Amino acid sequence: MSTATVTDAILHRRAAISGGLAGVAGGVVFGAAMAVFGTLPTIASILRTDSAVVGFILHMLIAVLIGAAFGLLVIRFRIRVRDMLFWGLVYGAVWWFLGPQTLLPLLQGMPVDWSAAHAETLLPSLVGHLFYGATVAGVFVLLQRGGRTTGRVPAVGAVVRGAVAGTACAALLTRVPNFQVGSWAWLLTGLVLGVLYPLIFTGRPEPTGPALARGTVYGFAAWVVVELTLQPLVRDGSLGWSRTDAAAVAGRLPGYLLLGAATAVVFTWLGLWLRGLFLDDVRKIEVEPPGARGPRATAYGVLAGIVGGLLFTVVMVLVGALPMVARIVGGQGTSVGLVVHLVISALIGVTYAVLFRRQSFDVLSGIGWGVSYGFFWWVLGDLTLLPLLSGGTLSWDTATLAAQFPSLVGHLAYGTGLGAVYYWLEAGIDPWWMTRSGIEASRVTARREQVLSAAPAVWVLTVLVAVTLPILLTGA
Amino acid sequence: MHESTPPPRRALRERAATGVVAGLASGVVVGAVMAFQDMVVGAPAWFGYVIYAVVLGALLGVTTGSGRSRSPIAETACGGVLLGCVGWLLYSLTLVPLLAGTAPTWSAASAVASYPQLVGDLLQGGLAGALLAVLLSLRADRTAGAGSPSRPLVRIVIIGGGFGGVSAAKTFERLAVRGAPVDVTLISDSNYLLFTPMLAEVASGALEARHISAPVRASASHTRFRHGRVDQVDPMARTVRLAGEAGTISYDHLVLAVGSVPHTFGLPGVEQHAWTLKNLSDATRLRDHVIGLLERAEQERDPAERRRILTFVVAGAGFAGTETIAELYDLVFGVIRFYPAIGSEDARFVLVHPGDRILPELGPDLGVYALERLEARGIEFRGGARVAEATADRVRLDDGDSIPTTTFVWTAGNRPAPLAAGLSGTGRQLPTDAQLRVTDLDGVWAIGDCARIPDPSRDGEHYPPTAQHAIREGKVVAANIVTSIAGREPGAFRFRAIGVLVALGHRTAAGEVRGIRFSGLAAWFLWRGVYLAKLPGVEKRIRVLFDWLLDLAFPRDIVVTTDAKAPVHDDVVVGSDR
Ligand SMILES: Cc1cc2nc3c(=O)[nH]c(=O)nc-3n(C[C@H](O)[C@H](O)[C@H](O)COP(=O)(O)OP(=O)(O)OC[C@H]3O[C@@H](n4cnc5c(N)ncnc54)[C@H](O)[C@@H]3O)c2cc1C
Repeated sequence: MSTATVTDAILHRRAAISGGLAGVAGGVVFGAAMAVFGTLPTIASILRTDSAVVGFILHMLIAVLIGAAFGLLVIRFRIRVRDMLFWGLVYGAVWWFLGPQTLLPLLQGMPVDWSAAHAETLLPSLVGHLFYGATVAGVFVLLQRGGRTTGRVPAVGAVVRGAVAGTACAALLTRVPNFQVGSWAWLLTGLVLGVLYPLIFTGRPEPTGPALARGTVYGFAAWVVVELTLQPLVRDGSLGWSRTDAAAVAGRLPGYLLLGAATAVVFTWLGLWLRGLFLDDVRKIEVEPPGARGPRATAYGVLAGIVGGLLFTVVMVLVGALPMVARIVGGQGTSVGLVVHLVISALIGVTYAVLFRRQSFDVLSGIGWGVSYGFFWWVLGDLTLLPLLSGGTLSWDTATLAAQFPSLVGHLAYGTGLGAVYYWLEAGIDPWWMTRSGIEASRVTARREQVLSAAPAVWVLTVLVAVTLPILLTGA
Repeated sequence: MHESTPPPRRALRERAATGVVAGLASGVVVGAVMAFQDMVVGAPAWFGYVIYAVVLGALLGVTTGSGRSRSPIAETACGGVLLGCVGWLLYSLTLVPLLAGTAPTWSAASAVASYPQLVGDLLQGGLAGALLAVLLSLRADRTAGAGSPSRPLVRIVIIGGGFGGVSAAKTFERLAVRGAPVDVTLISDSNYLLFTPMLAEVASGALEARHISAPVRASASHTRFRHGRVDQVDPMARTVRLAGEAGTISYDHLVLAVGSVPHTFGLPGVEQHAWTLKNLSDATRLRDHVIGLLERAEQERDPAERRRILTFVVAGAGFAGTETIAELYDLVFGVIRFYPAIGSEDARFVLVHPGDRILPELGPDLGVYALERLEARGIEFRGGARVAEATADRVRLDDGDSIPTTTFVWTAGNRPAPLAAGLSGTGRQLPTDAQLRVTDLDGVWAIGDCARIPDPSRDGEHYPPTAQHAIREGKVVAANIVTSIAGREPGAFRFRAIGVLVALGHRTAAGEVRGIRFSGLAAWFLWRGVYLAKLPGVEKRIRVLFDWLLDLAFPRDIVVTTDAKAPVHDDVVVGSDR
């Protein structure tokens, strides 16, 4: 009891210290941006002054405190960049809601304003918070290294694989009509994203579904870094974090989301195939052959997909989108649309079963994966394939994002139903928690930790991107 | 089950309650901020918000971290944000307009209008999640300090990995998922479930032996399995002893599903000289033996001796006997072209049965039909006759007739496996009540071929020993045990067989399903379809299907890998020792 408490105390103190130090780094990054936007005096106004220097000092103090809290919050997870990055991003995003939108006005004695119009003006702050979170996470891992984890250098093969995956996916996306990107710059982006992917997400190969969800968020982060930050910096030495700037490049966001997701998936699949072909040590093959439980999983995917599809149908009927769906098969009318819609729902349910089989450990993780997958299909299906297949025009501008908001709600509802029902069905035949020995129990725990590590952060980031960005970028 | 037991209902209720507390507390905080900003105004809005917070908290409690008392704060907080977001879609964007009497539009404009609620819901969800984690870990500390472990699991031991035992184990797994407090161990001396309806086809070489057997570990993958033979049950001490040095296992409830073994009624020579068809090795050895006989007959110059070598006698014209003789016939004539010195008149098949028609289970018409089909092929039927004695080279019937043969298959009698026979005291099946409890033995239940289970709908009658029944009995015994653990009275076993089907060899079968009779090719297709579907596991179904398809294109294999000169009878010998 006592030794455990002592080591726990040491662990926590170390975490708080490295978190605080990481907070310094994050604070500097964020503070620099604030200086650019001239928002430091806002912080100073907590102390009823408007001096930028006081503001910076106060900002750094807060940054350190929040960084230390980050260290304490994540210390129970595996300290690896691949996980911490997402925890950092989500931490930053939460503080955007909590800090400038809530606590700051409370401390200043000003009215709290949660309206979309106000949030829009705070978009630079959101990006700043994301950078803060990512920096804190990165530095925190660096500081904690040597202690609990060792950094593993990825194999050259993995980097090459990433490069191939990223470039190929970028090349494929250039074929999307109306997607105006400078061809070479875009291919280069794909290459860089592909190369960075295995460098950031080191460690054991993971299943395709979680990779897809993570890749989507990775794509979002790339959009923020490339389109909102690097390009404006290079072009005219400024940050494109404001709403107008961001809205101008919003049309590229879906492209980045698809690029990130596709890169992650192709990278993972290439790895699977290569391992399947060339690995001679069967201990390292973790994929269960599909025959044993695959057919049942497929059936459950169909069922869960139909349940999700029915939820979605409510939205479709009220919004009157079914005739549009019917046009995919060249048909007309609501009933044809309904059939097509349910068939698609079932098919996507099957792909969910294939990708996310045995990846959920409670209803909530089912919902998490389902919602992430639903969002992905909004981007791929609704924003991309549907216009292409039903003969409409494809455009990814802010007006379209806003117009497709009801469909987004439908896709999220679909994902919620799909993920929850699928988990529920799967738990009935594969109760992962029912173990028969200590060895099996620890194997299950290890798998759970491996799968879920940063998954909650990935879900939350996905859903935040999904529900806030279309609104904020469009303008209230 | 180990460490992380499933979330039983009570724990789930507690988590829900904790979730409600967390939801309410965070709802008050966020609600206060919103009220302060005039975002929640008036009694109805407050009322709705409180309900929302309570529901969200409860959902959060039951959907997160099943089985684990402590999830990291960051994890549950994220869960809260996620649910908060879904909650916003459902509540603010959908329910609120509905309650106000307008259709929800889910448009970007409506989302903008209720954006403040989104922020509130996200913060409230995150706060509720964080609070939930804190409250749960506080409670876990307290209960750990109070030294109250999770409730003890009831130890269940199932003996027998056949139809009954595996079906019971699978049902226990399903019940355990729903929170039944059971820890199940299945002990069997074969580590696979043998699909007996296809055993005769293994004996005829049409199917590969392993394809009709499914590993118990795969069929009941969450049940603890011990491969071994139980040689003693002590119902007083509630223990079972494993043969060898494997030790004893205690139980609270014991399920006996040990099946049956052949019974020869002490007829002279039968035990030593008869082949039986009960398990895989019986089947493969019988097949090898038949091929070996063909090899011998091919070299035999004396026609009488050749005919004796190729005479096959089967005693008992029930399902097993009838299918066996039909399959042996198919085997011999299916491969005879490899043996140019053997003429088709050299082989003789005799079916011996005390009754005057075969397949008493099928009813007169189909029995007559089946007999016609067999006799049309030249299979002899000796009705109204019993085997009186067997020697190495002949079988003597009770009517004095004697048939020279080297292959005598005995399917005319069964008795419960020695373990059950020993327990019953009489050597007969274990008598049970309608709830499947063994009479006079506390905590012992019996199912399948080893149990004598009364049929409540037919006074004084008992359920027949078939796989169909064993499977249903397995399900019911598991449910009954769980019911009795919960302190309620278990229900009676009731089952009407759906139908009976018997294969009569090449492209022919007969049967009756729900009162409708089938025969010939249609029945054969039905037989194959039904039994293929009943094989445990997709893999085995596909393998058997492939065996059947290949059988259409290629002649049967005549490779002999064992040295089967005479039957071995471990089961029978052990039985007679007792
Ligand atoms: C050739 C043949 C064809 C058949 N065809 C059909 C059919 O078409 N349809 C139908 O409904 N029924 C059919 N049956 C009957 C059916 O097989 C039985 O009714 C059924 O198997 C009974 O199931 P059970 O669970 O009681 O026993 P079994 O399936 O016999 O299982 C008993 C298990 O207990 C194990 N065991 C025994 N003693 C011990 C011990 N001391 N310690 C540990 N383990 C032990 C055995 O290894 C075995 O695994 C057929 C039977 C045969 C032989």
